Amino acid sequence: MSQDHDRIVSLQLTAQMSFLQIATHCVETAAKAFGLGKEESLKLSLATEEIFSYLGSHVCRGGILDIRCINRLSYVRVEFRFSVSTLNMGALNIAASVDCENEDDMAEMGLAIASRTINRLNIVAERQNCICLAIENDKHYPPAPKTYVVPIDVTGALMVETPDTEGVKQYVTRVAQGSPDPIRPIFFNYPGQVADMVAAGNCQVVTAVDAKGELAGGVLFRFLTTRIVEMFGPHVFQQDREGEIAGLLLDACIARTVRSKAIGLVSLTGMPSSVQSQFELLGLMNHYRHDGKTIAGQAFYRLLHEDPGCLVFTDTSLKDYLQREYSRLFLAREIREVRDQGEMKAGASIFATEVHREGSVAILRPLWPGVDYDANVKKHLLFLEEEVINSIFFNLDLGVSWHASLMAVLLANHFRPVLIIPFAGQADLLIFQYDRTEP
Amino acid sequence: MIEPNLDLLVPAYVREFEPYIPSKPDQELQKLYGCDHLYRLNNNENPLGPPPGAQEVIRRFPPPRGAVYPSGDSYYLRQEIAACHGIDPDQVLVGNGANEVIAFVIKAFCSQGDNIITADKTFAVYEWVAVFSGIEARVIPLKEERFDDEAMLEGIDAATKVIFLCNPNNPTGTYWSRDTLRAFLEEVGGKQIVVIDEAYYEFVEADDFPDGISLINDYPNLIVFRTFSKMYGIAGLRIGYLVGDLKVVDMIRRTCIVYSVNGIAQEAALACLRDETGHIRRTRELVREGKAFLCAEMAVMGLPVIVGEGNYLIVKLTGSDTLAYRKLMHEGIMIRPMTGFRYPNHIRVTMARMEAMEAFVAALKNILA
Repeated sequence: MSQDHDRIVSLQLTAQMSFLQIATHCVETAAKAFGLGKEESLKLSLATEEIFSYLGSHVCRGGILDIRCINRLSYVRVEFRFSVSTLNMGALNIAASVDCENEDDMAEMGLAIASRTINRLNIVAERQNCICLAIENDKHYPPAPKTYVVPIDVTGALMVETPDTEGVKQYVTRVAQGSPDPIRPIFFNYPGQVADMVAAGNCQVVTAVDAKGELAGGVLFRFLTTRIVEMFGPHVFQQDREGEIAGLLLDACIARTVRSKAIGLVSLTGMPSSVQSQFELLGLMNHYRHDGKTIAGQAFYRLLHEDPGCLVFTDTSLKDYLQREYSRLFLAREIREVRDQGEMKAGASIFATEVHREGSVAILRPLWPGVDYDANVKKHLLFLEEEVINSIFFNLDLGVSWHASLMAVLLANHFRPVLIIPFAGQADLLIFQYDRTEP
Repeated sequence: MIEPNLDLLVPAYVREFEPYIPSKPDQELQKLYGCDHLYRLNNNENPLGPPPGAQEVIRRFPPPRGAVYPSGDSYYLRQEIAACHGIDPDQVLVGNGANEVIAFVIKAFCSQGDNIITADKTFAVYEWVAVFSGIEARVIPLKEERFDDEAMLEGIDAATKVIFLCNPNNPTGTYWSRDTLRAFLEEVGGKQIVVIDEAYYEFVEADDFPDGISLINDYPNLIVFRTFSKMYGIAGLRIGYLVGDLKVVDMIRRTCIVYSVNGIAQEAALACLRDETGHIRRTRELVREGKAFLCAEMAVMGLPVIVGEGNYLIVKLTGSDTLAYRKLMHEGIMIRPMTGFRYPNHIRVTMARMEAMEAFVAALKNILA
C-alpha cells in the first residue's frame, strides 16, 4: 500500500460535539477531492457524523481523536483513532445497542447506523487501549460491458507480463464476460476499479499473452494479511490450453510473491482443476445467497516456504478437530489446551465486525476479552440477522490464548469450524461459519 | 513509556523486508514433526565433515584461547589462500561465511538509486542484501536452467553496479564455461563489478569449468567468492572469502568488519587448505555415487531431475514441494523445497551417505504412494 502523503488528509481534534461539523466537513471535502462522487462522499460524511457523535458521547468523550482520510484510488478510507478506558470498551461493539427498543435510544446505535451507509466498517486494536475504527466507501465505476465474447485464439508460445492499465481492464472485462460465478468478488465486474486497485498497490495482476499480444489468461493477487497472499484465478480464456496457461500464471504469481513477506498463498474463490494438485484443500465455505441458494466454495492453500511450526491454543471442545486437521495437513503444531481455572475475568468483550454489504458477508473477530462472550455473540447474531447479512464468519487466532475461550461459546451458538488458514494470524486462523441450517 | 516511531525511524526498504527465519534446531524439529532421527539433506552440507586436520584443530582448540581476540583480518589464512592461488594476500578478504562478503561488496559499490543484477532462480542472498540495503535487485530469468548471459547484459544500465553470478548455480548445478565467462566479461568491459560465487567450486569435475581467481589479472572488475562451508565441511564455523584485484579489494576493505571471523574458524580453514588426505576426492566420490543412485531411482519413479555440478540435485514432483517437505519431515528426512528459489513443486536434495540416500528414496516413495 502506498503511503504517499498526497493521498492522506489528517485532522486531530477533541471528541466533543461542537467540533462535529469540522469532522464531517473535512471527511466530505477530502472524499470529493479524492474522486468520490457527491453521493458517496455524503454517505461517508453521514457515517462520520454518526461515529463522531457516538465516540464523543459514549466512548472517548473529550479525548483526542485523530481522523485520517486516505485515498486508495478505488475507495476512500476514513480512520478514527482514539484511546479508550476499559470502562466503556463494550460500546465499541457494532451490536452494542441491538436491544434498544425505542427511538430515544437511537443515539446508542451510532456504529450500526454508520455501517449501513458505507461499504465496509472495521475496528482494530492497535496498541494497549488504542483503537482504530475505519470506514470505507468505494468509488462508483461503470460495470464491464456485457457484449458478446469473441472466442480467443491464442497461438504459439506464451509469455507472462505485468499489464498496463488497459491490459488490466481488458483482463477484468474478459473475466466479467465469462461464465457467471457467484463467489467471484464483485470488483471483477468493474474493470476501472481493478485498474485503480492495481495503481494504488492494493493488488497485482499478471497476464499471459501470445506473440501477437492476444490475452490467454490472468491472475490477480493481493496480501490478505501481512503473511498470506490471496489469489483470484488463474482465469484462463482458452480452455484447450487450460493446464499450460493456468500453470504459467500460477508460477508467475508465486515468483512475484515468494521473496516478499508472504509465507503462504490462499485461494478462497476456486481455481482451475489443472493447478489444484499444487495446493492443499483446506475446506469448504458456504455462501448463502439472497435467493436462498447455498454455494459451497473450496478453499485451497500452499505454503511458500518450509513450515516453521508453531504453538496453537485450543479449548477441549476442539482439540480433536485441530489434531485431525493438522494431521491431515501435515502441519507441525504444538496444541496446548486452555482451561478456565477460576482466574478473575472482568469487563465487556469487543468483537470487530467487518461488514461487506455487497456480498452480504460479515466477518467477526475477537478484539478484547471479557466475561460476556455468550451474550455478545448472541447480540451480534441478532444484529446481523436484522441487517440481512447471509454469510457470517467468526475468525479466531489460534496463536492468542484467550481466543480459545470463545470456541465452546461459538459451537453453542451454531457456529462450526470450517477451515484453518495457516499463519493468517499470530499463528493459524480458525474460521467458523454460522450454520443457518441449525434451528 | 514513549514507544519509538518505527515508521519514521526505519527506512521503508527495511520495514517492508521480511526477515528470513532459519529452520529451528534439529531437536526442536524432531519434536515438532515427531521423528526420532533426521537426515539433513537440505543445506548442501558435507556428510563427511571437515578434513581430518581441521577436525584435529577443532578438537584441540585450547579453551583459554577463547578469551583472546582472533587475528582481525585473518592474517595467516589470507597468506595461505594467496599462496594457493599465486596472488597477493591483500587481494583476499575473509568474512564470517560467504554471506558476509556479499554484504561487504554491496556496501562498497552500491548506493541509493543503484541496482544489482542476478538471476531469478539462484542463491537468494544477493537479492536479499540488495533489497534490505535499499538497492534494486534485477532478477533475470534463467534460460534452460542456466544464467542467461544475453539477458543479463541487456539488463545493465547506467545505475548497475554489480552483477552476481553463481557458478555452478545453486540450485540447478548449471555453469558457464571458461569461454562463456570470458565472453561475458569482455562485453561488460569493466564498467560493472562482476561477482562469481564459486561456493561449489571444489565439487566441479567438468573440464571446461573456469577458475575465476585465475581470470582476475585479465579482468580487474572480477571478484570471486569461495567458502569453507561446503566441500570443507566447516559450515558451523562460518568462514568464507573473496578474492579480487588489489585496488578493488582495497575499496571493499573499507566496508569490511574486522574481527568478525573467529579464531577456531581461521585455524580450521588453514587446515582445510593444507589437507593431503584426499578429502576432496572422497567427497567427490560420495557425490558421484549419490547422484547416480538418485538419478536411477527417480527415473524409475518417473520424476524428472535437474542435475549438474555441485553436491545436490533437483527433483520435480507432481504436487506441492512445501507439502512434500512436511511429509518427508514426518519421515525424518529434511530436504529443501524449491518454491523459495522460484521453482515451485521442485525439491533440492543434498548428496549424502548411501544410508541417507536410501532413506530418502524410501520416504519419497512412501509419501507419493
